Amino acid sequence: MKSIKRCQGIISLFLVFFVAGMIALVIKIQREASFYMMHSENYELGMVYDRNGDVLFDGSGNEEYEDNYFIDVGNLIGDDKGQMTNTLVAQNLEKLNNYSFSAGLVREGGKAAIYTTLDHEANRAVYNAFGNQDGCAVAYNYKTGEILVCTSLPSLDVTKGYENISDFRSGTLISKTLYGTVPGSTQKVSTVIAALEIMGADTLFSKSFSCSGTYVNKSGDNIDCHNSYGHGTQNIQQAVENSCNPFFAQLIEDDDLPLSQVKKVYEKLGYAVNDDEEEYFDIDGIKCQKASTTLNDPYEFKTQWGCIGQGDTLVSPIQLMMWQSAIANESGEMTMPHLIDHTTDVYGKIKDNAKTQFSDRLFSSDTAETVKQILLTNGENHYTNLITGYKLGVKSGTAQVNEGNTENSLLVGFVDDPDLPVAFCILIEDKNNTSLKTENIAQIMLDALSQN
Amino acid sequence: MDSLKLILCAVAAASLDICALVLILAAYHERNTGNKRWNRMTSFMELADYNTSYPLGCDEILIGRHASADIRLPDLSVSRYHAMLTISNGIWTITDIGSKSGVFVNGNLVKQTQLRENDMITLGNRRLIFRRRSDVNVR
Amino acid sequence: MSGNKCSYIFSAIFVLLAHAGMLLNVFLNGNYSDLSDVIVLAGAVIGLDLVYFIIMPFFKQSTFTIDFLLLLVLNMSVIFQSCFGGVHLSLKHYITCITALIACRAGYLLCRNHKWLQMQKKYFYIGIGVLMLVIVTLTGSRSMWIYLGPITLQPSEFIKPLFVLACATSITEQQKKHKILCFHVVYENFALMGITAAICLLQWWCRDLGSLPTFIGIYACGFLLRICYPKAKFSKKKLIGAGIILLAVAVICMKFAPAYVQERLHADIWNDINGNGYQQAQALIGIANGGWFGKGPGYGFLHNVFAHENDIVFATISEEWGLLYALMMVLAILIIVMLPLINPPRSYFHSTMAAGVCAAFTVQMALNIFGSCNMIPFTGVTIPFISSGGSSLMTSGFMTGMLVASQSPVFKPPKPHKKLSSFNLRRQKA
Repeated sequence: MKSIKRCQGIISLFLVFFVAGMIALVIKIQREASFYMMHSENYELGMVYDRNGDVLFDGSGNEEYEDNYFIDVGNLIGDDKGQMTNTLVAQNLEKLNNYSFSAGLVREGGKAAIYTTLDHEANRAVYNAFGNQDGCAVAYNYKTGEILVCTSLPSLDVTKGYENISDFRSGTLISKTLYGTVPGSTQKVSTVIAALEIMGADTLFSKSFSCSGTYVNKSGDNIDCHNSYGHGTQNIQQAVENSCNPFFAQLIEDDDLPLSQVKKVYEKLGYAVNDDEEEYFDIDGIKCQKASTTLNDPYEFKTQWGCIGQGDTLVSPIQLMMWQSAIANESGEMTMPHLIDHTTDVYGKIKDNAKTQFSDRLFSSDTAETVKQILLTNGENHYTNLITGYKLGVKSGTAQVNEGNTENSLLVGFVDDPDLPVAFCILIEDKNNTSLKTENIAQIMLDALSQN
Repeated sequence: MDSLKLILCAVAAASLDICALVLILAAYHERNTGNKRWNRMTSFMELADYNTSYPLGCDEILIGRHASADIRLPDLSVSRYHAMLTISNGIWTITDIGSKSGVFVNGNLVKQTQLRENDMITLGNRRLIFRRRSDVNVR
Repeated sequence: MSGNKCSYIFSAIFVLLAHAGMLLNVFLNGNYSDLSDVIVLAGAVIGLDLVYFIIMPFFKQSTFTIDFLLLLVLNMSVIFQSCFGGVHLSLKHYITCITALIACRAGYLLCRNHKWLQMQKKYFYIGIGVLMLVIVTLTGSRSMWIYLGPITLQPSEFIKPLFVLACATSITEQQKKHKILCFHVVYENFALMGITAAICLLQWWCRDLGSLPTFIGIYACGFLLRICYPKAKFSKKKLIGAGIILLAVAVICMKFAPAYVQERLHADIWNDINGNGYQQAQALIGIANGGWFGKGPGYGFLHNVFAHENDIVFATISEEWGLLYALMMVLAILIIVMLPLINPPRSYFHSTMAAGVCAAFTVQMALNIFGSCNMIPFTGVTIPFISSGGSSLMTSGFMTGMLVASQSPVFKPPKPHKKLSSFNLRRQKA
């Protein structure tokens, strides 16, 4: 009868809703179970491997390793102890857990692992090259985005625990590649990009400014050049090669380069201009600080100094390296770096295969080509003898830190070779204290990478 | 140990499943006996048109033109809700629920009356006969 | 009964088998130090089964399936509750289960004659009123419990079956219309609306927000069945349209709700894992820990968490017995609610009653299970039959009794109607 049928209809409606909810619940639990497990005290971690199958982190703790076997990646790969949070393991614990809802927690023989893109051997060679010097180096394949080398000193051996954590030197627990540092003259690459975007190659190459060692800007402040005798009159190519500060100060003051447009290009490049909120971008769960700078007034000392790469400007080495990829690719698009090639679940099934991703277009491909040419010429003229065997586009930099008390040395660049498409950034802290040069490290790094 | 645990879980779950299944089957069986019981209680009656017969499946049956009526007579002379059949103690009663044309049983206009076998009910232009179900004798 | 003898015996055997399977699991997998604990538990469960099978035929019902299902689920819950954190018969829960079975019988006996029941309708309203008064006077504003020595009662639970009965209606009743201005109205519908509003206000006042959706669900069900039938002014299309509009309004309300409400709705339990989110986070971890097949009876961790035996009982069972088993337990309860679909009631009153019971059960289960798994805000409601708690079990038993009554109804008039009998006489003369 229809009346009874109607009641049955309502009962079915309630049941259908409930059953649909239950199905949603089961699916939710299936998908999120391993996330839940990571919040319990009950987990069994797997391994992290490099690109050749070498161990970078052993979650099981069953094997013995040489002393300092993991020290070169200590503060990048990290561990599960909770002392370091911005590390690969800490951010990807869930993927590393030997757990699946149907298998439960596998104590022995679980195959959950993360296969990274790092080259442990090259990484260790670079780490050792630093010797007692602090600093960091990062390199990646600008075609695919695979991070090949990423090391930061001082570092730690995670297998030794944190008992003497108070004795650790500052910066031990973080990978410096991820955090902003004063870029020095490497910043001039960004300024050249901005100038090219705004006025075009022809206008820029027609400009020439003179340098007498020091330049008094329009607001009356001194912009010093590192060469106190001055560089004379130069065009942009020479200014980049000489890394001439007065040239760039005058360029910023030039009427063809309105600061509002420079700001726009900088923002496109990813700078947080004038105290914008601090931002991060994500590399497989690891947070990398975005660049920031201050641009107020083209005649102001602070702004000019910012465009030259001192003062308020902060850029992380990884971002410096990523801009090099946009130049080296001649596309104006950055290749987004990644650290995880793939992961395996508890049964050893491969999942999460990495894909190469590109950023939005930061600048035009014409600009990219021109900058690439400028950097390649610089490499050819000044670095052929220092780093042998590679066709390089580079820009060096010296950054004043600790209120000008110490100087850091930087080198950013790329190899223009389809067989070795590597972009890199190297940072040596307190360079006046050592005979170690960034080019030495670049040579060792590229040699190690080209061998594999 | 693990496999034993798995088997035990499976056994416990399976026994529960089978139990649920058996109970559902039992419910279907009960529906059949319930139908029989209901038919006995309602004296095996049905309403019949000249070509269709309407089973009387529950204790309150609305007759009318509206789509939601239990027995739908699509005829404009029948009100939307015309009459209601109710049963109590095995006796069917027909009640006029505010129809326009009235309810006639064997030609008499009634407000409420008990029905007996082979009564002729007239609702508007439609005639229905209250009779024993034809398939009863077969069983 | 006579025709069902065979299926009765079969059902009994399989219920016993299901319990035996569970007990075997407890015996071989369970966490117990003393075998006597398991034997006591087995004895209690099987004993109750057998006693019930012997008593049942004395009730002259035409259907027994729901009784079997009730027994199955209740004894399952006895086994579950006895295993939390180590096998030991939970005597308190066992006794409340027996009470629930008795309440079921009472519900059946009271509700099987719907004609008689309809005449008692005013007493339902009086009963609800009295219970509300009790809540107002005895429990106080922010509580829902009455303490009577060792027993604690939750009076709002007892309102539920009465409210279901008040919501149930027959077609005859809906025909008693009165004309106010140009509307034909049924007075009783207004009475029901009033009492619903009163109950909702009271629940709000008590901050018993968990029961509120249950009442609203029952009322929505009753209301729909009242307006649809017999005066079907509302076609299906209109109803669906109204439903969509309601949903849209709800979504918009959610979006523009004040911040503190939204915070309550989207609580991030993982950021507050040791504070407000503790129960839910532990429940989810427990489910993940149990996997499909569980850690084994008594080996769970969740029995250390507050309210493991009622608010997050689904997770506790999942952890110890596995998600598969917990789902099957839910299925068993769903079958109880589903039986009116297989074996339809014979009167509109009984079927509206069944729909109300269904609404109450499903809404409660949904609130509990989805709440403890962080899909909807967490409210402290109980799963019928499974959660421990005397008031809840008794009312669930009673409501199951109402379902039994709808399947094995008795059609006898309360008293011969005077007018009708004189009418009959006249007719017989003619």
